Amino acid sequence: MRNMKRPRRTTAVLAAAVMALVGCSDGGSSGLPADEGGGTIDTSEGVKLGILGQCEGPFGGFHEDTVGGTALAMVNHAGATVESATSALDGFSGAEVDGTPIELVGVGCGDDTPDRIIEEVRRLVEQLGANVIIGPLSGDEGIAVAEYAKEHPDLTVLAGISGSQEQTLQVQAPNYFRFYGDGAIWNAGLGDVLHHQEGWDDVAVIADDYSFGHTSAAGFIADFCGVGGNVTARVFPPLGTTDYSSYIAQLPGPDEVDGYFWAVGGTGTQAALEAFVNAKGDLSGDQHAGNLFFNPDLAQSLGTDIAGAYVGGFATLPGDVTTPAIEEYLASADATWETLAGGVSGNEPAPPSTAAAFGFFYGYYSAGVALVRGLEAAGGFDDPEVLHQSLSGLTLELPYGDISLDENRSGIVDVGLSRLVVDENGEVVQEAAAIIPGVDQSFGGTFSPDTPAPSRDFPACEERDLPWEGNAIEVVDGVPQE
Amino acid sequence: MTATRRRLPALVTAAVAAAAVAWVLFLAADTPAGTALDNPGTFMVTALDAVTFAGLLFVAASGFTLIFGLMRTVNMAHGSLFLLAAYVAIGVQQAMLGKTRNIEPSEVSLVDWLVPMLVGATVAALAGMVIQQVFLQWNEGQELRQALITLAITVVLADQMLREFGGLAQRMVWPGSVTHFIEIFGQRYATTRLFMLGVAVVIGVLLWLWLNKTRLGLVVRAGVDDRQMVRGLGINIRVVFAVVFFAGAFLAGVGGVLGASFSGAAPGTDGSWLLNSLVVVIIGGLGSIKGAAAGSLLYGTVVAFSPAYLPTQYSYYAIILTFGLLALVLAVRPYGLYGRPA
Amino acid sequence: MRTGSSMLNWRAASLALAVVVLAALPTVASAFFINFVMTQTLMMGLAAATIVFLAKYGGMVSLAQFLFFGVAGFMYGNAALEVGSRGLNLGLPPWTAVGFALIVTTVAAFLLGALASRTTGLYYLMLTMVYAVIGYFVFAQVTEISGPSGITSIERPDELAAPVSLYYTALALSVLAYIGFRALGRTAFGLALQGVRDDPVRMASLGFNVPLHRTLAFTLGGFVAGLGGLVNVWWNGQIDPASIGIGPTLVLLIIAVIGGVSYFEGAWLGAFVYVAMFTYLRDLPLVDRIGITEARFNTVIGVVVLLIMVLSPQGLAGIADRFRRRLSDRRRPVAETSDRSEGASHRAQSIDK
Repeated sequence: MRNMKRPRRTTAVLAAAVMALVGCSDGGSSGLPADEGGGTIDTSEGVKLGILGQCEGPFGGFHEDTVGGTALAMVNHAGATVESATSALDGFSGAEVDGTPIELVGVGCGDDTPDRIIEEVRRLVEQLGANVIIGPLSGDEGIAVAEYAKEHPDLTVLAGISGSQEQTLQVQAPNYFRFYGDGAIWNAGLGDVLHHQEGWDDVAVIADDYSFGHTSAAGFIADFCGVGGNVTARVFPPLGTTDYSSYIAQLPGPDEVDGYFWAVGGTGTQAALEAFVNAKGDLSGDQHAGNLFFNPDLAQSLGTDIAGAYVGGFATLPGDVTTPAIEEYLASADATWETLAGGVSGNEPAPPSTAAAFGFFYGYYSAGVALVRGLEAAGGFDDPEVLHQSLSGLTLELPYGDISLDENRSGIVDVGLSRLVVDENGEVVQEAAAIIPGVDQSFGGTFSPDTPAPSRDFPACEERDLPWEGNAIEVVDGVPQE
Repeated sequence: MTATRRRLPALVTAAVAAAAVAWVLFLAADTPAGTALDNPGTFMVTALDAVTFAGLLFVAASGFTLIFGLMRTVNMAHGSLFLLAAYVAIGVQQAMLGKTRNIEPSEVSLVDWLVPMLVGATVAALAGMVIQQVFLQWNEGQELRQALITLAITVVLADQMLREFGGLAQRMVWPGSVTHFIEIFGQRYATTRLFMLGVAVVIGVLLWLWLNKTRLGLVVRAGVDDRQMVRGLGINIRVVFAVVFFAGAFLAGVGGVLGASFSGAAPGTDGSWLLNSLVVVIIGGLGSIKGAAAGSLLYGTVVAFSPAYLPTQYSYYAIILTFGLLALVLAVRPYGLYGRPA
Repeated sequence: MRTGSSMLNWRAASLALAVVVLAALPTVASAFFINFVMTQTLMMGLAAATIVFLAKYGGMVSLAQFLFFGVAGFMYGNAALEVGSRGLNLGLPPWTAVGFALIVTTVAAFLLGALASRTTGLYYLMLTMVYAVIGYFVFAQVTEISGPSGITSIERPDELAAPVSLYYTALALSVLAYIGFRALGRTAFGLALQGVRDDPVRMASLGFNVPLHRTLAFTLGGFVAGLGGLVNVWWNGQIDPASIGIGPTLVLLIIAVIGGVSYFEGAWLGAFVYVAMFTYLRDLPLVDRIGITEARFNTVIGVVVLLIMVLSPQGLAGIADRFRRRLSDRRRPVAETSDRSEGASHRAQSIDK
C-alpha cells in the first residue's frame, strides 16, 4: 500500500507545480529570450540568404536545380564564384552588390508539404539567421511561406517557382515577391489559340485533384471560356490513382467534344493517357492539349502519337527559340559548372544548360537576379522596407522575357506556348508556337482577392474580355513574328 | 437471441451486398456510368476493369501473404522491392531497345518484355533474400521487431532509389504482340489489361501447383500450420525460409514490372503498393493465397465501381469507400476472409 | 518491497528534476532551441507517448495516433476560423473550438477503436496504418472540412500569444500525460487492460469485456494525441492532408521506436533525438564529406532505426535502463535482481512478441 500512496502524492505535487507554472506563463510576455520568437531579422551584416529547395517528395530530383538557379544569378550578376564544378549544392561565395555582401547561410530541404517547408524556413531564419529567402518550389508550400513572411515583416522572400495563386493574390504579404507566373498564368493563351485557330468549341478537362491541378485547370478554363469556348466536363482523379480507367470513363468520347485538356502529372501523365487510349481511342495531336506536364522531359514516355498537341508554358521557352540573350544565359551556365545532375537529366550529370533551360532552375535564377537588382535600386540593405519598395517597382530584364510585378507583387509575364513535334531523330520535342505577352494573375477579373481559390468547380465557364485576347505573337521556326 | 446477434454481421453484409447490386443494376441513374440495365456496355467494361486490376493486385499481394504465411514476417519492404524491380526492368528494357524514350509497343517484342521482367524480379528476389538473411533470419518470431526492421529498410531504400533513379516518372512498355484493342458491347477495350490478368492467373496456378504438388510446397504448407512439427521432422527450415522469402520477393518484383507497365514507376509507387498489398491481405486474411485472390477481387471491384457508380456529386469520395469495404469485412471477420489469428 | 519503493522515489525525483530543468530552460536557451526544437520535441513526444501507452498496456501498436493528432488540428481550424476559402469557418471562440476539436477527435477515436477492437498484434498495426491513409484521403477529398490545400492562417487563443507559452503548454501537457499514463497502469482499468494484453481469452472468461477495454484505451490515446495536435496546429498555423500522410505517421512510430516503445520517457527521448538530428545533423562540420547531406537525411534516419532495432529493440530508453540496472546491480546483492529482470522481460514482450 505504501507503494501505491507515494506516487500519488508525488503526482499531485508535480501536477500542482506544473499548473502553477503554466498559469503564470500564459498570456503576457515574460521577458524570456524565447518570447521574442523569430521575429527579429538582423539586416546589419548584409544579405544572409537561405534557399528553400526540395530534396524529397515528387520534385526531390530538382533540388540541385533550385540552388543552381540562384547560384548562377549570383555568378552572373553579383560576381560570385561557385564552390564546385559539378554540384550546385556546394553553394557559392564572394557575391556582392554595391558593397552589400550576399552570403548563402543554408539550403532548406522541403518534401512538397507545407509543414516541412515551415520547419525549413524557420530553421533558416531563426537558427541560421537568414534575412532573405529564395523559394519555395511548389504551390502549397508557397502559401505557407507567404503566411510566414507576413508574420515577419523584415524578412524578404522571393518565391522560387511555387505555382499557387493564393500566395500573392490572397495572402498579400508585403515582403513576398514572385518574379514569374503562377500555375494558371502558364496556360493563358491556350484557349485563344485552340478556340480561334484550331476551332475547338467543346472541351473536356481532366486534372489532378489537388491545388496545382485545380489552378492549372482554372487557368485554362478561364482562358478558353473567356474567349467563347465551352468546357463540358471536368474530371479530377485523386492524386496517386493507379488505375485511371474509371475516371477516363467519365470523360465524353472523342466524337462528343472537340478536344481534351490534360493537367495530370507524375506517373499519372502516362497512366491516364494510356487509359484513354485503352478506352476512348488513339491519341491524336489535334484533339489534345496539356499543361506543362506534357513536357517530354518530365514525361519521358510521352509517345509520338501525341505530336501536334499544344502545351502550356512554364517560365522558359522551348529550345528552338534562340535569342542572343538566351544563348548568353545558357552559355553562362555551361561556363559556371562542368556538369550538373539536375532533375531533367534524371539526376545524371549533364551539361548545366540542360537544367538552366528548364523552369525550376530558371525560377530560382529569376529570384536571384531580382534580389541583385533590388539591392542595386535600394542602394544597400540597411532597411528591408526600402528593398521591398524597390523590388515592387522593378522590371527585370531576363533572358526569356521581361517581368514586372502587379499590385500583389506577382509577376506579369510573357507566356510561351509550345507544340509537341517529332524531330528528325524520331523524338518528341517541344517547339515554340506562340508567345502571349503581359499576362497577369487576374485573367480579366476572373480571379481577384475576393474570389475563392481555384477548385473543382471554380471558376465557372464564363465569357469575358481577356486583355491578351488576339495579342498572341506567333513563333515560326523559333523566331517570334513581331 | 444470441444466434441472431452472432449472425447479425453476416446479415448486414448480405443486405449491403444486395443493396449495392440493386443500386448498380436499377437505381444508379444519376451516376457517371448510369444503371447497368441502361448501359450494359459500361457495366461490362467496369467489371472487366475490376477483374483485370484485381489480377495486378493479386500478383503484388501474393508474395506479401506467402512470406507472412510461413514466417509471420510482415515485410514492410515489399513496396520497395516492387519499385526496385520496376526500375531495374525499365533500365534493362531501355538497354535492350537502345533508346530511353518514345518507345512504341510495336518495337517491343515479347522477349523485350519478358527478359527485363525476369531480371527485375530476380534482382528484387535477391535483395529480398539478402534482407532476410542479414536482418530477419536471426530474430524469427519477433514479429513487431521484424516489421520495424523492414520499415527502416524501406526508408533507406526509398531514399537511395530517389538518388539512383531520380524523381521523374518512368514507364515500362508492353510488348506489341499483346497491345491490341477489342470491342465489348461497342466499347473499346485494351488487350494489355487482359494480358495482365493472364499473367496473374498463370502465377496463381503456378503458386497452387508449387504449394500443392511439390515436396517443397508441402513442407511450406506444413510449416504454415505447424513450424515446430516441420522442424521436428528434420527438415532444414532455414533453407525453406530463404526459398520462400526469395519467392515472395520475386512475386513482388513481377508485380512491380506489371505495375510499371500498367501505370509507371516513380518515388511513392513503393508506398502506394505496400498499402495496396496491405489492404488486399487485410481483407483476404494474412497468409492465405486464397484470401489474396478474394481480397484482390473485392478491392479491385470497389476501386473500379465506386468512381463509376457513386452519384456524380459524390464521385470524389470514391477512394474513401475502400474504408467501407475494410470496415465491413473486419466487422464480420476480424482476421479477414480466410485468415486465422496470428 | 523496499526496492520497489526506492525505485519509485528515484523515478519521482528524476521526474521532478527534469520538470524543473525544462521549466527553467527558456531563461538560458536560445529562442530557436525553445520555440522550435523543444516545443516540437514535447508535442511529438506527447503524441508518441500515446503509441507507448497503447503498446505497453494494451499490446496494440497503433499507427493511427498521428491521425488523431491531425483530426484535432483540422477540427480546431474548422471551428476557430471565421472566414477563409476552405473549411467550415464556424467562427467559434477559441476555447470552444478547442472543446469542439477534442470532442470530435475523441468520438472518432472511439469509433475507429471499436472497429479495431477485435484485432490484435500485427493486424492492429496494419489496420491502423490503413486508418492513417484513409484519414489522409478523407481530408484530401472532402473539401468541406479541408480539401487538398488544407486550412491556413490558423491563430492560437490570445492567452497563448507569446511564443514561449506554447512551450510551457506542451510541457504541462507532457508532464500530465506522463504522470497520468503511469498512474493509469495501477488503476483497475489499467490492470485489466494489461490482463487483456497478456491473455484476452482468460480475461474474457473472467467476465471482462475485452473489446471495450481496448476501445476505451484507444479512445484515451486518441484524446491525448489530439491534445498534442492542438499544440501542433497553434505552433504551425496551418494544417493540410499531407501533414497527416503516411510519412509523418511513420515518423511518429520511428520516434517511439528510437526512444523505446515500452518506456513512456522514451517517447520524449525519441522525439528529442529525432528533432535534434533533423535540425542539427546537417550542420555538423564535414558531415557532408561522408555523404550525409540534408538531401540524404532519410537514409540516416533509416539506418539509425535499423541499428536500434537490430541492437536493442527496446530503444534508447531500454539501453539506458539496462545500463542503470547494471550499475545498481553492482551495488546490490545478487538475490534481489531476479524480480526486476522479470519486469524487464515483461516490458520487452510488447515488442519482442
